[in-house]
Amino acid sequence: MMLLAKAALGLGGTLVLAGAYTMREGVIRVDVDEYRSGGSHVHVWVPAAAVSMAMHFVPSRHMRHASEQAREALPVLHAIIKELKKYPDADLVEVVDDDRHVWVRTYGGKLQIDVDAPDEKVHVLCPLSALEDVTSQLEERSPAA
Amino acid sequence: MSNLSRKMSSRKDVISNCSRSLLAKSALAATALLLLAPFGVVAQSSSGSSKSSSTSSSLDRWLHVRVISSDAKGETVRVNVPLELAEKVLPTINKDRIHDGKVKIDNAHVNDVDLRALVEAIRTAKDGEFVTVQSNDRDVRVAKQNNHLIVHVLDKQNSKKSEVEVKVPMKVIDALFSAGKDELDLVAALHALSAQGDTELVSVKDHENTVRVWLDSKNVTD
Repeated sequence: MMLLAKAALGLGGTLVLAGAYTMREGVIRVDVDEYRSGGSHVHVWVPAAAVSMAMHFVPSRHMRHASEQAREALPVLHAIIKELKKYPDADLVEVVDDDRHVWVRTYGGKLQIDVDAPDEKVHVLCPLSALEDVTSQLEERSPAA
Repeated sequence: MSNLSRKMSSRKDVISNCSRSLLAKSALAATALLLLAPFGVVAQSSSGSSKSSSTSSSLDRWLHVRVISSDAKGETVRVNVPLELAEKVLPTINKDRIHDGKVKIDNAHVNDVDLRALVEAIRTAKDGEFVTVQSNDRDVRVAKQNNHLIVHVLDKQNSKKSEVEVKVPMKVIDALFSAGKDELDLVAALHALSAQGDTELVSVKDHENTVRVWLDSKNVTD
């Protein structure tokens, strides 16, 4: 019993530490459902910290290529995300008609994009801090930097 | 004597077993607590962040655009932009005519009208009506009133009437033309706009759309 308790405490502690570290920035969630024949159904939940961590292992030539492709948009994107962090709960864009609903907003420090249409449903939830990390890393690795 | 020592040793074993079991139980409880703790922290931090946001954003200035279409689909578009965000983001856009928060205009002439001279004339003029056109097709009124430039157009063509009203504070127009020659300073105009009180800037009504652009301190549309 004592041994089991010690093992549980050790395992639990490790799990908590690993979980807290991985989840400290929240979760990136992407759900795409296309309601047509051959339509894709994508459901991805990734810890946001894992994405910025994984970017460190991407070969630098690929990162340079990505930052080169996004060169014009990166400063704008970075400025938007940096400013949006000041508005963690705000409705930014909403388009509604009789069968569609598009919603872009920040909620609890996350960027939320929802598209509800008869033929597709898209829900994206991404912590702003994770987006800032990604854009910062791309800017740092750009050839001009 | 040996009986007594045997009794004591068995009591020690019982106490030791009890304390071991208690220790084990408390270790298990601590593990469960550790495993559940992050959920509590996440819940607390998310509620805390939403509380702080509602107070921090309450003093900000927001530009709202609302388009309501009265066609069969009944489309409604709502856009809410914090002015500070627009002020910070605009200078980062360097594309075509837009650079450093300014937009280039060709020789400040639009359809052979010297815009800068026109603005200067309006700025120095006293309040009053500058243009009043009344015809069967449309009524046009351009006026300066309470330090606002007001343009009102009522289109009476066909049976489908449309009405446009634009009301811009003079300080915003001054700021817009404060950049060098042939440039409009968008960032300066936004900055001047943020100093204004709650105001409606543009209102368009026609047979199928209603457009409203206004400024206030709310981060959601009504």
